[in-house]
Amino acid sequence: MLAEQKGGLIAGMVVGLLWSASKVTVPKLTSLAVDRAILGDGSLVFWSSLIGVMAVVAGTFTAWRRWFAFRESRLTETKLREQLFAHIMRLHVAYHDHTQTGQLMSRASSDLLQIQGFVVMIPITASNLAMVSAIVVILFVQQPLLALVALAPLPFLNVLATRFSRRIHPAVLAVQQEQAQLATVVEESVSGVRVIKGFGAHEVTAARLRTEADDIRNVSVQAAKVRSAFLPALDLLPNLGLLAVLALGGHMVLDGDMSRGQMLEFMQYIGLLIFPLRNLGMTVAFGQRAAAALLRVDEVLSTAPAVADAASPRTLPGDAPVGAVEFDHVSFGYSADAPVLRDFHLSIPPGASVAVVGATGGGKSTVARLLIRFYDVTEGVIRVDGVDIRDLRLSELRREVSVVFEDTFLFHDSVGANVAFARPDASAADVEAAARLSGAHDFIASLPEGYDTVIGERGYSLSGGQRQRIALARAILANPRVLILDDATSAVDPSKEHEIREAMRTVMDGRTTIVIAHRPGTIALADTVVLLDEGGVAATGTHDELLATNERYREVLAALMDDDDIDAEVSG
Amino acid sequence: MWASGAISDEDKLDRAETGKVLRRSLHFAEPYRRTIYWAVGLVCVSTAATVAGPVFVKFGLDHGIGESSARALNIAVVAYLVTVAIGYVVGRLQYLAINRAGEGFLRDLRIAVFDRLQAQSMAFFDRNKAGVLVSRMTADIESMGELIQWGLLQFVAAGLLLVMTIILMAVMSWQLTLMVLLFVAPVLGFASVRFQRQSNAAYLDVRERVGTNLGNLQEGITGVRVIQAYGREAEQHRRFVSSNRALYASHLRSVRVSTWYFGLVEWAGITSIALVIGVGGFLVHHGSVDFGTVAAFVLLLANLFEPVQQLSQLYNTVQSAAASLHKLYGLMDAEPDVAEHPRPVELPAEGELVAHGVTFTYDGTERPALHDVSISVRPGERLALVGPTGAGKSTLAKLLSRLYDPTSGHVSYGDVDVRLVSLASLRQRVVVVPQEGFLFGGTIRDNIRIARPGATDAEVADALEAIGVLERFEEFAEGLDTEVRERGSRLSAGERQLVSLARAALVDPAVLVLDEATSNLDPGTEAIVERALERLMEGRAVIVVAHRLSTVRRADRIGVIDHARLVELGTHDELLAQGGRYAALAEAWARSQPTV
Ligand SMILES: Nc1ncnc2c1ncn2[C@@H]1O[C@H](COP(=O)(O)OP(=O)(O)OP(=O)(O)O)[C@@H](O)[C@H]1O
Ligand SMILES: Nc1ncnc2c1ncn2[C@@H]1O[C@H](COP(=O)(O)OP(=O)(O)OP(=O)(O)O)[C@@H](O)[C@H]1O
Ligand SMILES: [Mg+2]
Ligand SMILES: [Mg+2]
Repeated sequence: MLAEQKGGLIAGMVVGLLWSASKVTVPKLTSLAVDRAILGDGSLVFWSSLIGVMAVVAGTFTAWRRWFAFRESRLTETKLREQLFAHIMRLHVAYHDHTQTGQLMSRASSDLLQIQGFVVMIPITASNLAMVSAIVVILFVQQPLLALVALAPLPFLNVLATRFSRRIHPAVLAVQQEQAQLATVVEESVSGVRVIKGFGAHEVTAARLRTEADDIRNVSVQAAKVRSAFLPALDLLPNLGLLAVLALGGHMVLDGDMSRGQMLEFMQYIGLLIFPLRNLGMTVAFGQRAAAALLRVDEVLSTAPAVADAASPRTLPGDAPVGAVEFDHVSFGYSADAPVLRDFHLSIPPGASVAVVGATGGGKSTVARLLIRFYDVTEGVIRVDGVDIRDLRLSELRREVSVVFEDTFLFHDSVGANVAFARPDASAADVEAAARLSGAHDFIASLPEGYDTVIGERGYSLSGGQRQRIALARAILANPRVLILDDATSAVDPSKEHEIREAMRTVMDGRTTIVIAHRPGTIALADTVVLLDEGGVAATGTHDELLATNERYREVLAALMDDDDIDAEVSG
Repeated sequence: MWASGAISDEDKLDRAETGKVLRRSLHFAEPYRRTIYWAVGLVCVSTAATVAGPVFVKFGLDHGIGESSARALNIAVVAYLVTVAIGYVVGRLQYLAINRAGEGFLRDLRIAVFDRLQAQSMAFFDRNKAGVLVSRMTADIESMGELIQWGLLQFVAAGLLLVMTIILMAVMSWQLTLMVLLFVAPVLGFASVRFQRQSNAAYLDVRERVGTNLGNLQEGITGVRVIQAYGREAEQHRRFVSSNRALYASHLRSVRVSTWYFGLVEWAGITSIALVIGVGGFLVHHGSVDFGTVAAFVLLLANLFEPVQQLSQLYNTVQSAAASLHKLYGLMDAEPDVAEHPRPVELPAEGELVAHGVTFTYDGTERPALHDVSISVRPGERLALVGPTGAGKSTLAKLLSRLYDPTSGHVSYGDVDVRLVSLASLRQRVVVVPQEGFLFGGTIRDNIRIARPGATDAEVADALEAIGVLERFEEFAEGLDTEVRERGSRLSAGERQLVSLARAALVDPAVLVLDEATSNLDPGTEAIVERALERLMEGRAVIVVAHRLSTVRRADRIGVIDHARLVELGTHDELLAQGGRYAALAEAWARSQPTV
C-alpha cells in the first residue's frame, strides 16, 4: 500500500529536510546579527534582510511540508478504505452473521483516521528528527558543556512521552469502546422506534443509555487522570533546559566565556527543540495507536472469504434445457452441534417448480441460502445443471440463481434503481415490465415522482406489501435460471393473489422455481410440493396428495385441525 | 490532530443566540459550577506562569548579565524555577478540573437529549434519517468532548497568553511593541480572517462528504446479503469509490487552505524576528532600549504567533460546538408533535376504542393515507382489518395506538380523547406489535423483557409458554440466553415473530394491535399462537391486520380498507351476504383452501 506512494513520501521527506535546514539557520542568523550588528558595528540592514530572506524560504517549505504530509496520509486512508470496503463486500455471510455493523463501520472510519493521523507524522517526524540532530550538533560544537546541561532533560522528555503513550493508549481505547456501545444503544433505539413505542419501552432504553453515558464519563475522567499526570510534566522538562541555559550560560557570559548573541541563540535553539521532541513522543503514541488500529483493520483484510471462487472454475452449460437443481444428500448446520439439514435430498428437473413447505424454523430459508452459497454445505453436494456449485464462479452462480428474501431490504435510492439493482443498465421499459409482473407498477406510478421517487431508509416509507413487491420485481428483472421465492408474498393481499399468480405463471414459465410458502394459494403455484421436516424431505407430491396422505403436512398447514384440537394443544 | 469544526450560514449564531446558548449551557452546567470556577482560576495561573518565564530571562539578562551582577542572575534563576514548578502543579490540577466538569456536563447532555429524542413522534423519525439522529448523539457530542479535553483549555490559555504577552511587550518597550503590532496585526488579522472563512467552507464540505460516505458504507454493510445475492459487489464498490474519492478531493481542498496559512504564519514569525533585530538594534544603538529587551522580544514573539495560530484554528471549532449545542438544545426544545397533554389524565380502566372520522396524510406526501375513517372496537371484541397492499391498514393501526395524531378527526378510548391521556398509561394499555418486528442485539430473554423491564426470568418463560412456543426456544443450545445478534439474524423469520409476540404476552394491555404479526409463521403454529392470544386477551380488545382467511374469519367484525377508506364493515356472514369486496376476497380464499 505505502509502496505505491513512495514518490509522494520521498518528496515530502526532501521538502522536510529543506524545511529543517531553513529553521536551523534562523537562530544562527539571529545570533550573528546580535553579535555583529547590535553589539558590534556590522550593518543592521544587511543582517535583518538576511533573516527576512530566510523567513520566505522557511515559510515556503513549511507550507510544502504540510501539503505533502497531509496529501499522502489522506491518500493512504482513502485507498485503505476502498480496499476494506471491497473486502467486506466479499466476506462470507457467516462472517457478517457474527460481526456487528458498528464494528465494521469503526474499522473503516475511526481506525483508518488513526492510521492517517500517524502517516501524516511520518515525513513531519523525519524532518523534525533532522532538525533536532542538526541543533544538537550545533550546540555541542559551540559549547559542549552548556549543551550537555541544557539538553540533559530532553531525553527524559522522550522517555516520558513514550511512557505516556503506553498509559494513555488503553484509556483512549476504553473511551472509544464505551462510545461505540452508546452509539449502538442510540442506533437500535432509533431503528427500533416502532417497537419501543409500540410497547412503551422507553424506560428500558433510557436506562441503557444512562449506563453507557455514566461509563463514558468514568473512563473519560480516567483518561484525563493519565493526561494530567503526564502532559504538564512534558511542558515542564524543556523549561528546565531553558533554566539551565540561563543559570549556567548566564555565568559563562558573566565570566566572558560566551557572547550574549550566543546565549540568545542557545535559548532560541532550545525553544525550537521543545515542539519536535514532544512531537516525537506523540508520534510514538500515535504510532502505537495506529499500529493497534492497523492490526484491527488487517484482521478484517486477512480474513479470507470462506466462500470463494474455485481455483479453476467451471461454467454452467449454456444449452437448453437449463435450471436443473440437485441437493445431493446435503447436511448443514450453522454450528456443528445443531444440524439444521440432515441428508436433505431433492432434485428438481429444469424448468420445474417446487413448493417447499415446513414448520417455522424448520430450515426452509436455509435451503435457499445454501443454493446461492451464502454458506457451504458440510456434507453432500449441491448441483446446478450438473455442476457442483462450489466449482462455479460466485458471480455466475448468483447471476443464474436469484432469491427473494423473506425480509425485504431496499436501498435508500429511487424505486427504479431498486428494481434495476441486479441490472443497473436495464431499460426503463424492462424495469416497468418487471414491476408490472410483480404487481408493483400501479402503486409506483401513483407515487409523487413515479419510478424516480426516492424511498426512505430500508424503504420504510412504503407499506410492507409494497416493499415485498419491489423486491420481487428486482428478482424478476434479474432473469435467473433458478428463482427462489422465500415467503415473498406473505404481505400480499389475497384479493390480488390471483393476479399475482397469473403474473407469476408468466415468470415461472420455463424457469426453475422454488417457492417457500405457507398459503395454499401460493403453494398451488408449484407443480410439486416438498415437505421439509426434521431437516430432510419428509414427503413429496402434489398439494392435494400430501393433504390426503400426510398427517404432518396437514398439521403444518393447520388444514385438518379444528378449533378444539388446537385448544387442546395449547393447554396440553 | 483533531478535526477542526465549522458551521454553515444557517447554523451561524448571532450574538443574541450565542448568548442564549451560553446562558443555557451555564445553567445546564450548574452542578459543576464550583469546579468550573476552580478550573478557570487555575488556567489563569498557569498561563501567567508561561508568560513569566521570558520575563525572568529578561531580568537575568539585563540585571544579571548586563550589570554583571551574579546575585541578580541567581534571583532570576530561582524565580524562573519557582514559576516552572507552579506551572507544573497547576497544570495537573487544571486538567482534572476541566475534565471532571466537562465530562459530567456531557453525560447530562447525552441523557437529556436522548430522553427528549425518545419523546418525539413517529413522524419525527420518518422525517429524520436514523444516521443523522445517531450522529447528533455521538459525533456531535464527542467533538465537544474533544473540545473539552484540548480545545477549551487551549482556547482560554491562548487568548490569555496573547493578551498578557502584548501587555508585557508594551511595558518593556512601547516602540518595539508598536512596530511589531503594526506589522503583525494587519498581516495576521487579514490572513486569519481569510483562513477562518475558507477553512470553514472547506470543513463544511468535508463534513457533508464524510456523512455521505459513511451512509454509503453503512448501507453497503447492512445490505451485504442482498448485494452478494445479486452479485453487485463490484458495482457497489465502484459507487463507494466515487463517494470516497469525492471525500478525498474535499480533504485536499481543506489541506490546501491550511497550507498557505501555516506557511504565511511561519514567514510572518521569522520576519518579525528580522524586524525586531533591525529596529531593536537601531534603538539599542540610540540607547532607548537595552539588549535584554531585544532578546526577550525575540523569545516572546513565539508567544505571540502560537496563540494566534491556535486561536484561528480553534475559532471554528468553538463556533461549531456552539452550533452543535444550539442544535441539541433545539432538539430538546422541539415540542413532540404527538405530545403529552399538559394535564394528562389516566386511561380509563375500560372502554371502547373509537376512531371518529380520522383523516391522515404522511409528511411529504400529498394523498391522505387514510380518509375519513370511523371505526370502533369494544372490550372483548376482535376486529380484523383487511385490504390490498398500501390501502392504509397499518396506518389505521398506528393512529389507533397514537403513534401518529390524525390530521383531522380524533381517536378516543372510553369517551376520552387519547390526546388527553398520559402517554405512559396509553402505551402500557394500548400495545402494538408492529409489522416491522425489530429485535435488539442481546438474548432472546432480553428481547422479550423489553415489554416489561421488571419481569422475572420465570415470567418471560411463562410468556413464551402462554403462546405455546417455549419448547422450541428451550431446545436451542443456550436456550433463552441465545444471542439473537444484530436485528435478530440468528433466528428464522418466524422465530423472530414469535419473540415479538411473546412480548405482547408479557404485558396486560387493554387493547392489543397485531399488524401482520404472524405473517411468517406456518399456519399450524399461527393457529396455536392465535388461539393462545385469544384466551390471554379475553375481555380485551384485539385488532388484527391480516392476509389469511383463517385469522380473519375468527374475528367478530371485519373492516375492509381500500384506497385509504373504510369500504365495508361487518361480521363475516354479513359481509358475505353483502356480496361486496369481502365476499370476493373470501371466494378467492376459498378457491385456494385445502379441500379436505
Ligand atoms: N412513513 C411513511 N411515510 C410516507 N408514506 C407512507 C409511510 N408509511 C406508509 N406510507 C404510505 O401510506 C400508504 C398506506 O400504507 P400502510 O402501511 O398503511 O398500508 P397497508 O394497508 O398496511 O399495506 P400492507 O398490507 O402492504 O402492509 C401507502 O401508500 C404507503 O406507501
Ligand atoms: N445465521 C444463523 N445462525 C445460526 N442459526 C441460524 C441462523 N439462521 C437460522 N438459524 C437457525 O436455523 C434454523 C433454521 O432456520 P431457517 O431460517 O432456515 O428456518 P425457516 O424454515 O426458514 O423458518 P421460517 O419459516 O420461520 O422462516 C432455525 O432454528 C434458526 O434458529
Ligand atoms: Mg425462513
Ligand atoms: Mg401494513
